[in-house]
Amino acid sequence: MENLLATSFDTHPELLPNGPAAAETPVLQLTNIEKVYQTSTIETVALNRVNLTINRGEFVSIMGPSGCGKSTLLSLMGLLDEPTGGTIAVDGRLVTSYSDRELAGLRNLKIGFVFQSYHLINDLSVVDNVEVPLLYRPGMGGKERRQRAMAALDKVGLSARTGHFPGQLSGGQRQRVAIARALAGGPEIILADEPTGNLDSVMGEEIMDLLLGLNRQDGVTIVMVTHDEQQAQKTQRVVRFFDGSQVG
Amino acid sequence: MIRHLFTLMWNRKRANGLLLLEIVLAFVVLFAVGSVAVYNWTNYRAPLGFTYEQVWEVDMSPGNQPRREQFATLQRVLQRVRSMPGVVGVARHSENTPFSFNDSSTEFQVKDGTDKLKVGAEFYHVGPELRDVMSLRLVAGRWFDRRDEAAGRRKPVVITELMQASLFPKGRASAVGQTLVDNDQDAYEVVGIISSYRAQGELAEPYPAVLAYVGPQDSAHAWTSPMVRVQPGSGAALEKRLGEEIRAVSGGWVSSVTSLPDQRLTQLKFRLTPPAIMAVICVFLLVNVALGLFGVLWLNINQRRGELGVRRAMGAPAGAISWQVVGELLVLTTFGLLLGLLLAVQFPLLGVFDVAPGVYGLAMLLATGILYVLAIGCAFYPSRLAAAIQPAVALREE
Repeated sequence: MENLLATSFDTHPELLPNGPAAAETPVLQLTNIEKVYQTSTIETVALNRVNLTINRGEFVSIMGPSGCGKSTLLSLMGLLDEPTGGTIAVDGRLVTSYSDRELAGLRNLKIGFVFQSYHLINDLSVVDNVEVPLLYRPGMGGKERRQRAMAALDKVGLSARTGHFPGQLSGGQRQRVAIARALAGGPEIILADEPTGNLDSVMGEEIMDLLLGLNRQDGVTIVMVTHDEQQAQKTQRVVRFFDGSQVG
Repeated sequence: MIRHLFTLMWNRKRANGLLLLEIVLAFVVLFAVGSVAVYNWTNYRAPLGFTYEQVWEVDMSPGNQPRREQFATLQRVLQRVRSMPGVVGVARHSENTPFSFNDSSTEFQVKDGTDKLKVGAEFYHVGPELRDVMSLRLVAGRWFDRRDEAAGRRKPVVITELMQASLFPKGRASAVGQTLVDNDQDAYEVVGIISSYRAQGELAEPYPAVLAYVGPQDSAHAWTSPMVRVQPGSGAALEKRLGEEIRAVSGGWVSSVTSLPDQRLTQLKFRLTPPAIMAVICVFLLVNVALGLFGVLWLNINQRRGELGVRRAMGAPAGAISWQVVGELLVLTTFGLLLGLLLAVQFPLLGVFDVAPGVYGLAMLLATGILYVLAIGCAFYPSRLAAAIQPAVALREE
C-alpha cells in the first residue's frame, strides 16, 4: 500500500526541481506575504507581511479568531490564490511565475486538501470521489487509479464503503473519504482547513488521530487550520494569527 | 476521464431527466425534418430526364365549338403554331404535362410474364415530336416514328429505365419488344427506353413512366396541352402573338401560355411550403432547446462552484474544467441520442412511409451531427465561465 500511496515524483521528475529533499528541509516557504482584497470602496488587508516556513514532515497548526486570515493563508499555501505581495516557494523554487497549468500540476502532485465541509461530489460513489485528483494526473490509467483509491480508502478504514455515496455516510466517514481523496495522489503536504469543525468530539478525535498517524507513520507534512486548542497542542508547532498578522 | 463523465452523468440522470427529454424531443423533430429534407434532396438530385428551358405549355380550350369540329381545328392550330417564327417544335401531350400538378397513373404488367408483377406508372400520351421538344434521352430501342402509324399493331409505348427496372427487378430481360397490358387489358408494345421522364417535378419521388404514342391522326388523346419549344430569348411578344394566332385560326379558342421554368418554380414553391414550415418550427424548437441547455448549464455551473473549486484545488487545469463542462453535455446528448435513435431506427426497420432506408439513415446522421454541434455551441460559453472560477473564491463561498 505504501508503494501505491507514494508520491509520483519518480514519474514526474520535472516537477521536483531540487530532487528529493532531506528531512528538516523547507517544503513551503512564505516570505513577506501580503494579501489585500480590494473593492471600489474598501481595501481589506487579509494578510500582512507573513513569513512562514513549513518543513518536510512537520505537523503545523494555524490558529486564530475568525477572519484573521487563516483560510486565506491556506489558500496561498495550496497555490489556489496569488499573494498581493511577497513570494511563495515550494521545495525552494519560487512559484510566483508559474502558469495556471504548472500550478495545477504542482497541486496535483504535491498537495492534498481536506476541507471542513468535506466537498465531496454527492453524485459520485466513495471510490469515484477518491479517484478525482488522479483523473488529472497525466498518463495514469483507470486500473492504477482504482488501485490507488482503494488503497487510500483502506488506509482510512473505509474499504467496506467504496460503493456508497456521500449522502449515505456519517460526517466522520465523509471526512475520512475526503482524507482518502487527499491521500490518493500521494502528496507531500496535506492542507486541512478545520477538518474537525463539523464533527462531534468523538469523530473529531478519530480524524485527528488519523491525521497524526499519517504524519508520524507516513511522514506526510500537514498544515491544519483549527479553532480547537486541544487538537492544536497535539501538533508539533502552533502558529497564531490575529488580524492578518502572525502573532506567535 | 470519459468513463468518469459517463459515471457522473449516469448518476445524475434523474436530475438531468428533463434536459434529457428535451434532447430526445429535439432529436425526434430533427430526425423528422431531416428525413423530409433528405427525401426531397435525394429526389431533387435525381435527373428529370428532360429539359424545360425554352419550353412552353399551351393550354387550349375549345369553348363552345361543336365536338366534331374540334380535332380539325386542333390540326390547323398546330400547323399554324409550327410555322410561326420563333417556334422550334410542337408536340402534343396529355394534360399531365411537366410541373402541372396533374397526374395519370395506372398499372402495367408484362403480358405472359413469368412473375405477373404489376407496376404502377405515370401514363402519358405524347406526340413523336416530344423527344426533340423536351430533349429526351433514348437509352435503348427506338423513339416513335412512322412505323408506329401502321394500323392494327399494338399501341407503341416508350418506357423509362425505372419502369424497366421495376418490371424486371432481377435485371435479366430487356423490355424492348415486350408487350405490356394495363388494368383494362389494353396491350402496348415497348419500342424504346428513355432515361427518365419525371414530369411530376424534381421533388416528387422518381416513379416509373410509360409514354404512349399519339399519331397525327389520333383524335382521342392529347390535344389540349401541346408543348412548344421556342427559340432562346423568346418572351412576351411571342407569347402574345401565339395567343392571337391560335384565336385567329381556331375561331375563338381560348388559350394561355405558361413557360415550364415558371411552372416549375410555382410547383417548387408549393411543394416546399410544408417542409419550410416544418423547418421554421424545427428552428424555433432548436432555439428553445439551445436556450434551455444554455440556461441549465449556466445555473448548473453556479450551483457547482464548490465542486469545480475542489477539482481545481486537486489539480485540474482551467482547460480540464472547460472540457468537463462541454464533455458532460456531450455525454448527456449521447444518452438522449441513444434514446432517440432507438425510436428512429424503427422507421427503416418497419418500412414506415415506404421511404428508402438510406433516407432515414442520413437523417439520423444529420440530426445527430446537429445536436452535437448545438451541444458544443451551448456549452462553450458556460465552459469558459466554469474555467474562470477562482478555486479560492469558490471554496470560500461554500
